[in-house]
Amino acid sequence: MGHGHHIEVKQEQFVFSPKAKRFSMILMVLGLIFAGLGIANLGGHEESHIAKTEVTAHEGTNHGEDHAAVAHEEHANVDTEAFGPRMEFHPLDKPANTRIWANLMIAGYFFLMISLVALMWYAIQYIANAGWSVGIKRIPEAIMTFIPVPFVVLLIALFMGKNDIYHWAHYEHLGLKPSDAGYDPILVGKSGFLNSTMLFVFPSVLVVIWYVLMRKLRSLSAAEDNATKGDVSFFRKSVQFSAAFAVIFGFTISVIAWLLIMSVDAHWYSTIFGFYNFVTHWVTMITIMAFFVAYIKKEGYLGFVTNEHMHDLGKFMFAFTVFWAYLWLSQYLLIWYAQIPEEMSYYQIRFENYKFNFLLNFAMCFCIPFLGLLMRSAKRNRYVLAIIGSIMILGHYHDVWLMVFPGVFGSGMQFGFLELGTFLLFAGVFTFWVFTALTKRGLVAVNHPYLDESAHHDVGV
Amino acid sequence: MGILDKKLSLRDRNKMLIGVWEDEDQLMAGASEIAHAGVHIHDIYTPYPVHGLDRIIGARRSKLARIAFFCAVTGLTLMTTMIWYMYVHDWPMNIGNKPVRFTPSWAPVMFEGTVLCTAFGMSFFFFWRNRLVHGIKNELLDIRQTDDRMVMAIETKDGMDEKAVLNMMKNHGAVELREFHNGVQIVL
Repeated sequence: MGHGHHIEVKQEQFVFSPKAKRFSMILMVLGLIFAGLGIANLGGHEESHIAKTEVTAHEGTNHGEDHAAVAHEEHANVDTEAFGPRMEFHPLDKPANTRIWANLMIAGYFFLMISLVALMWYAIQYIANAGWSVGIKRIPEAIMTFIPVPFVVLLIALFMGKNDIYHWAHYEHLGLKPSDAGYDPILVGKSGFLNSTMLFVFPSVLVVIWYVLMRKLRSLSAAEDNATKGDVSFFRKSVQFSAAFAVIFGFTISVIAWLLIMSVDAHWYSTIFGFYNFVTHWVTMITIMAFFVAYIKKEGYLGFVTNEHMHDLGKFMFAFTVFWAYLWLSQYLLIWYAQIPEEMSYYQIRFENYKFNFLLNFAMCFCIPFLGLLMRSAKRNRYVLAIIGSIMILGHYHDVWLMVFPGVFGSGMQFGFLELGTFLLFAGVFTFWVFTALTKRGLVAVNHPYLDESAHHDVGV
Repeated sequence: MGILDKKLSLRDRNKMLIGVWEDEDQLMAGASEIAHAGVHIHDIYTPYPVHGLDRIIGARRSKLARIAFFCAVTGLTLMTTMIWYMYVHDWPMNIGNKPVRFTPSWAPVMFEGTVLCTAFGMSFFFFWRNRLVHGIKNELLDIRQTDDRMVMAIETKDGMDEKAVLNMMKNHGAVELREFHNGVQIVL
């Protein structure tokens, strides 16, 4: 612990140990095995799923043969008399591989957001003049380099599966006129935003902007390492670019969440949705960061990063767990109170057909972490953090899954082997990537003006 | 314990040895040596937080967190009971045809009540424990301990080598040494 005496901080070089390599390989192989199992099971699952949805359909249809006819049938459910257009969409014609694309889309989105909020974290540390986190700043700096990988996967998944994932994309191809049966004024009204061009162009433009700012911040940090000690010009510039990024990101991240995830239930909307998505990934990213710090420390690096820093990360995990629950409940309660039918569809299907997942989500993302991390001794214990953190990461991945799957497939899906496999595969690639990025430069920001403050960080008895 | 406990007042304790410092690094070193020599340091008064001093003088962890938890549970119970009594038991109201027994809709009240009780409870206990209540006279060992000086107080015990303690203080840069007994300070 810092006793107020001077702590010498020297540059360290991280080595990607064979053990860590093996770990990320095991994650990837496990992921592939589970995903393979899931894909092998796809056929059978699909049949039972169709059997279930057929019961809910009003009339039997020869599904899968004529897209237009099926869409006609689906949108014939639109009930304009009592509550305006209803948003029931019975997915009768999803090909089996839709589930693969949907999974890739979720994994891509999840890890894209993780890398982005790592960049946001990094920016906030600069804007807030935070000193304590300087010792661990290389970890978000490594995580944020992951941005392009999940984004490419996301684009591939969207390109291959968008017509099956998003029913507005499917509807777009039907080209219905107002006089046609099944004409959907809500989807037409949103088509200025929800269209295939927008789906690819808008995220691409934003990711390129974010990526450029990320490279800039990283190069400033690298230049600072090579500069002389006491030169704060790089720090000042980093603050400016961080501020620019924070403003751009803060305004645009919601739009990405609306476009990619909320539009799965295209008739539904929630203004808090983007922020809710941000917080889901934010708390997960902090957990992942805590994992990396704990591992790096265990390997004997970063001696000056103590339990005090781990405690602060634990406090962040705990605090944003509560904040996540606040948004989770707020989104639900406002819709519950307002009693507007068009806002209900999202919760209706999740609460009626996915009750187990809905409650499991709340338990994994709030109840368990809240009670588990409440005590100070729990936040300062690596093993408790590891167990609770694992539950949180999986829970938040499941949270994103729950945002997408009921909207895409209707009832009868479950978080299965394919979902777990995709997650583990991505987690393996992610771990490998981050460790590789950590080796690219020294582990300590030796010329950062607040390094000493971080080395002496102490939250007291 | 508590506000009526006279023991909390410095003037009702045994003779105190007082050392005054101007430099925090010297103070830290001195405190460290004195503590390692097995002398119990009663307290160190500083105008700003000096990180690490709490560990050196062996300060115990504050019980405030437990009090916070206790207050939170009290608040939660109180508010849950209150809203149940008002809204379900005594005067159920039909608001937008919503069910009255729907607990998630109670959450805001429960949450706010919990926070309110915790905040007030913590402040109350904090002030009580620290004797920061109206009418209590402050007990500054040195008027400059709120400005630019740091004051260490050590309560004497039978068999304590007072000279050795004072020497340790002096060797580590204490600018003034004093005794404090029955409310009277003597400069040594």
